Amino acid sequence: MLPKFASVIAKTREEALSWLSSLENPRIIAGGTDLMVKMRAGKQYSHVIDVAGVPELLTMTETDGRLSVGSAMTHARLSTSEPIIRNARSLALACGLVGSPQIRNMGTIGGNLANASPAADSIPPLLIHDAVLVLESKETRRRVPLEEVIVAPYVTSIDRKELLGSVEINPLRGYREGYRRVAKRATWAISRLGVAFAIKEDKGRFTDVKLAIGSCTPMPFRPKKVEDLLKGAEKNEAIITEAIRMALEEIKLISGIRPSYAYKLPVLKGILEEVLRG
Amino acid sequence: MFIGQDITRVDALDKVLGTAAFAHDLKNNTMLFACVVRSSRPHAMIRKIDASAALALDGVVKVLSHKDIPGENLFGAIKKDQPFLAEGRVRYKGEAILVVVGVTEEIARKASGLVEIEYEDLEYISDPFLSMRSAILIHDGGNLLSHRKVIKGDAGKGFESSDVVVENTYSTTWIDHAYMETEAGIGYTDERGHIVVASSTQNIHYKMKEIARLLAIPPEQVRVVQATTGGGFGGKLDVTVEGYIALAVYHTKRPVVMRYTREESFLGHTKRHPLYIEYKTGAGKDGNLTAVEVNIIGDTGPYISYGETVCLRAAVHATGPYEVPNVLVNSRMFYTNNPVSGAMRGFGVPQLALAHESQLDEIAERIGMDPLDIRMKNALKRGSLTATSQVLHHSAGLLETLKGIEPFWRARRKQGPGSGFGLGCMYYGIGNTGISNPSSCYLTFTPEGRVEMHSGVCDIGQGSDTVLLQILCDALGMEEMGIDLVRGDTDTSLDAGSTSASRQTYISGMAVCNAAQKMREYLEGQGYYSGKPLKDICREAAEKGLPVFKGHFDPPTTAPDPETSQGAPYATYAFATHMTEVHVDEVTGVCKAVKVHAAHDVGRAINVSNVKGQIYGGVAMGVGLALMEEFIPGKTESFDNYYLPTSMDMPEVEAIVVEDREPTGPFGAKGVGEPALIPQAAAIVNAIKDATGVRMRQLPCDIERLKLALEKNKIK
Ligand SMILES: Cc1cc2nc3c(=O)[nH]c(=O)nc-3n(C[C@H](O)[C@H](O)[C@H](O)COP(=O)(O)OP(=O)(O)OC[C@H]3O[C@@H](n4cnc5c(N)ncnc54)[C@H](O)[C@@H]3O)c2cc1C
Repeated sequence: MLPKFASVIAKTREEALSWLSSLENPRIIAGGTDLMVKMRAGKQYSHVIDVAGVPELLTMTETDGRLSVGSAMTHARLSTSEPIIRNARSLALACGLVGSPQIRNMGTIGGNLANASPAADSIPPLLIHDAVLVLESKETRRRVPLEEVIVAPYVTSIDRKELLGSVEINPLRGYREGYRRVAKRATWAISRLGVAFAIKEDKGRFTDVKLAIGSCTPMPFRPKKVEDLLKGAEKNEAIITEAIRMALEEIKLISGIRPSYAYKLPVLKGILEEVLRG
Repeated sequence: MFIGQDITRVDALDKVLGTAAFAHDLKNNTMLFACVVRSSRPHAMIRKIDASAALALDGVVKVLSHKDIPGENLFGAIKKDQPFLAEGRVRYKGEAILVVVGVTEEIARKASGLVEIEYEDLEYISDPFLSMRSAILIHDGGNLLSHRKVIKGDAGKGFESSDVVVENTYSTTWIDHAYMETEAGIGYTDERGHIVVASSTQNIHYKMKEIARLLAIPPEQVRVVQATTGGGFGGKLDVTVEGYIALAVYHTKRPVVMRYTREESFLGHTKRHPLYIEYKTGAGKDGNLTAVEVNIIGDTGPYISYGETVCLRAAVHATGPYEVPNVLVNSRMFYTNNPVSGAMRGFGVPQLALAHESQLDEIAERIGMDPLDIRMKNALKRGSLTATSQVLHHSAGLLETLKGIEPFWRARRKQGPGSGFGLGCMYYGIGNTGISNPSSCYLTFTPEGRVEMHSGVCDIGQGSDTVLLQILCDALGMEEMGIDLVRGDTDTSLDAGSTSASRQTYISGMAVCNAAQKMREYLEGQGYYSGKPLKDICREAAEKGLPVFKGHFDPPTTAPDPETSQGAPYATYAFATHMTEVHVDEVTGVCKAVKVHAAHDVGRAINVSNVKGQIYGGVAMGVGLALMEEFIPGKTESFDNYYLPTSMDMPEVEAIVVEDREPTGPFGAKGVGEPALIPQAAAIVNAIKDATGVRMRQLPCDIERLKLALEKNKIK
C-alpha cells in the first residue's frame, strides 16, 4: 500500500521551480513508473510535484544544430518522433523497447535519466549523442554532460531542488546507428544488456565509431579507448577482434569479475561482432 | 444438438462487461479485513510471539493464533498434516502463524508488520538430496513422504536385448500458478447462524469439510460458495484464505474479507514440484522401445498437499504414451523446507514429458530414424498395454494426433540458422489415480417450466458450466437451452469433486448424463416427447412437489498394486502431439517459440472453442515452463522477478482437434485441461536441439542457461 503523501500539479516550469524551492522534502514525479514502485515498497516523500503536464517540458526544439528534448516527453512519443528517428535513431529504438505500451505511455526520458538505473534504456543512446542535461532551480541554471550527472547506480548529482528541464543531444547523420538490447522475455522486461552504436565507414575504413554499453557496469559507459582504436582504422576481423577484447577488458577493469559476466560477456562479444561487422 | 457447437460461454457476457463478481468484488465497507502473519524463516522454532504493538493499534479487532482454533488445526487434501496456523515450529518461509483482523486493510496490514516473532533457527533442508541424508527430521516419521514403483516385465533383461541405450538426467524447478486473481474471499454468519464463505476456489465441498473440522461444527452449518474465479491451475485446490476467513468470522461475529497481495500469493501458496529425473531408455535398431528405467526424486516441501498424488502420477506416466514391454520406475518425494509443492496443471506429468520426449528423440537420432516415425512406431493404440499393463479398450487417438501433425512435420523447412522443429507427445489419465473420485449433481424443474441444474462443479474459467449445460440439453433432447443453472454453492448442490485432473467434463459430464437419463424417463411418462409443453408438466408437478433427479458417476478404476503399481488407474486417457518451431538467437541465447501445431484427442469436443481455448492457454503455460518461469525460494517475490510469458512471447498456435470417441464418457468426451500444457515444453526443448545441436536437460532454458550451453557446445 502507498504511504500517505501530499501532491501538487505544476502547470508551468516557473511553478514547478517555486514549489521545489519552497516545499520541504520535495520529490518530482513525471510518469511515476519508477517513483510509484518505490513508494509502494515503502519509500516516503512528503511532497510530490507532478511535472508531467508542464508544457515547457513537453517540447522539442532545434538550435545551433543541437536538439533539445523536453524532459517530460514520454518514451512512446520519442520512439515515434520524426526528428528523433532522423537524428538519433538509437534513442528512438531504445525508447520503443522500454517496458510495455503502458509503461512507454507514462514513462518519461527525464525520469529514466534521473532514476539512473544501470539498465535504463535511454542512457546508452544519449551517451553516444553526447547528451547534456539542463538543470534548473529557482536561482540557478546549469548544463552538465550526462556522464557527469550519473555518479553511481541510482545516484545523480541532480539536487533535490533542481528540475531536469531538457536534454540536449548532438544529432548524428550519415551514421549506421542502432540499439541492441537483450532481455529475459520479448517485452516488459528490464534489459540484461544494451548496446547503442553509431558507426561511420568510408572505403573500408571506420571513420567514426561511437559505442555505449548499458546493464553491464554500475553505470552505462562509452568505451572511449575502443572508439579511438577504431577511428580511422581499416575495417577487418583483426581490428574487430582487438576492439572487442579491449571492450571486455575495460568492463573487467571497471567492475571486476561478476557472476553475471559468464553470460553477459560472451553475449556482448557476439553483439559487438555483429554491430562492428555491420 | 448442442454438443459440438460453439455455444457462447454462459459467463462470457458478465466477464466482457466487467460485471462478474470475483471474490474481492463481494466485499463491502462493513467488512473487517484479515491478513496473515507469515514466517520469515524456512525452518525454525518459534520462541516468542509479541503481538502487543499490533493489538494496541487503533482499529485492530483480533489477533488469532493456533490457540484460537476450536477444532483441528490441520488440513490437507489427501492427508491432514498442515497446520492452519503454526504451533511452535515453522517449516517453510511463508508459513502462516497468525491472523490479524482489523477494520480496514491498511490497519490490518500495518498491524501485521508490528508483530514481533522470535525464532530459533533449525537447519534449513534446502533440497531432497540433503533431505534424504539429513539427521534432521522435518516430521517425526522421517523425510521420505512417498515411494512408488512401477514394475512391468524385466527392465534389466530389456536393456540387455537393446541395440541402443540412452541414459540422461533431467531437472525442473518450482513454478507458480500465477493466476491473474490472487487468493481472496469473504465470509459472514447468516441468519441461521451458519458460517458462509465465498471464495476463489476449485472445490467447494472439500473446503466446507475443512472449515467444519477447523471450527468443530457440523459441515451442514458451513456454506461455501465459489465466487467467479480468476484462474486456479491447481493452486486453489488446497485451503487458501477460506480457513482464516472462517476463523475470523467465528471469533469476531462480523463479516470478513481477505485478499492476498501478489507477494503474499507467491510466498504463501503451493508450487509445481521440482523433479529430478534419471532416465534410461533402451530400443532396438528398428526403433521399438525395449525397456525404460526411471528414477524420480521430488521436492515436496514440508507438507503433503498433493505430494503423494504427484509421486504416483509421475510414476505411472513415466514412459510416455508408448508401448514399453519392460518398465522399472522408482518415484520418491522428500520433505524439504522449501515452499509446499502441490497440484499444478499436470501433477508431475509435464516434468516427465520433458524426459521421455527428449529420450525418444535421442534414440531416434542414434538409430537414424525420424522423430515422428519413432513415435508412430511405439504409440499406444487401442488394445495396447500401458506401463501399468492396463489394456486400452476404447478411445486411444495418439496415432490420429500424430497423423494430424504429419503433413506439417514432413513439410517443415528451416528458416535459416537458429531455426528448428521439435515434437512432443503425451498421454494423461483423466481423473484421480486409482481411487474413487465421484461426481454428483441433481436436476429439478422450476414451477415456471424450466429445467434447473444444480451443479457443485467449480468453473474456474475453463468453461465447465457451459459444457455441462450443453451435455444436459442433448441428454434431454431439448431444442432450446431452457435450463437454469444453480451452481457452485454447497447449500444447493451435491459434491462434484474438485476441478482438477482434467476430470469435470468426463466425470461430472457423466453424472449429468446419469441424472438426465432419469429426468428423461420422467418426461417421457409425462408426454413431453409427444408434444406436451414443459410448462404444463411443471405446473402440474409443482402441486405435488417438484421431482428431483440425482446423478452420479465414479469412473471405474483399480487401485495400483502397492509394489508394482500394475492395474487400471484411470478409466480413460487423453492423448496429444505438439510440434513447435523455434528460433534461437545464438548470440543472445534468446529462444522464441514461433509456431505450434497442437493436435489433441479429446474424445469429443463438446465445445470446440472451449477446447481450443484450453490448448492456447496450455501452450502459453508450456512456453513459460520451457523458457522462463522459475520460482527461487527466498528470492522470487513478485512478477518483478518471476518471468511469465507475455502475449509477445506467444507462438502462433494451430489447434487440431481429434475425436476418438470414448464410450464411457459423455457423448464420447474425455478431457483436455492439463493435456494442453503437458507436451509443449518437451516440444520446445526438442526444437532447440534441432536448431542448435544443444540438448537442454534442465528447465527453464532461459536466455542465460541456453547461452551458457551454446558456449560450452562451441568449445566442444
Ligand atoms: C513494468 C516496468 C517496466 C519497465 N521497463 C523499463 C525498461 O524496459 N527500460 C527502462 O529503461 N526502464 C524501464 N522501467 C523504468 C521506468 O519506466 C523508466 O525509468 C521511466 O523512464 C521513468 O520515467 P517516469 O517519468 O515514469 O519517472 P518517475 O517515476 O516519474 O520518476 C523517476 C525519478 O526521476 C525523478 N524525476 C522525474 N522527472 C524529473 C525531472 N524532470 N527533473 C528531476 N527529476 C525528475 C523523480 O523524482 C524520480 O526520482 C520500467 C518500469 C516498470 C514499472
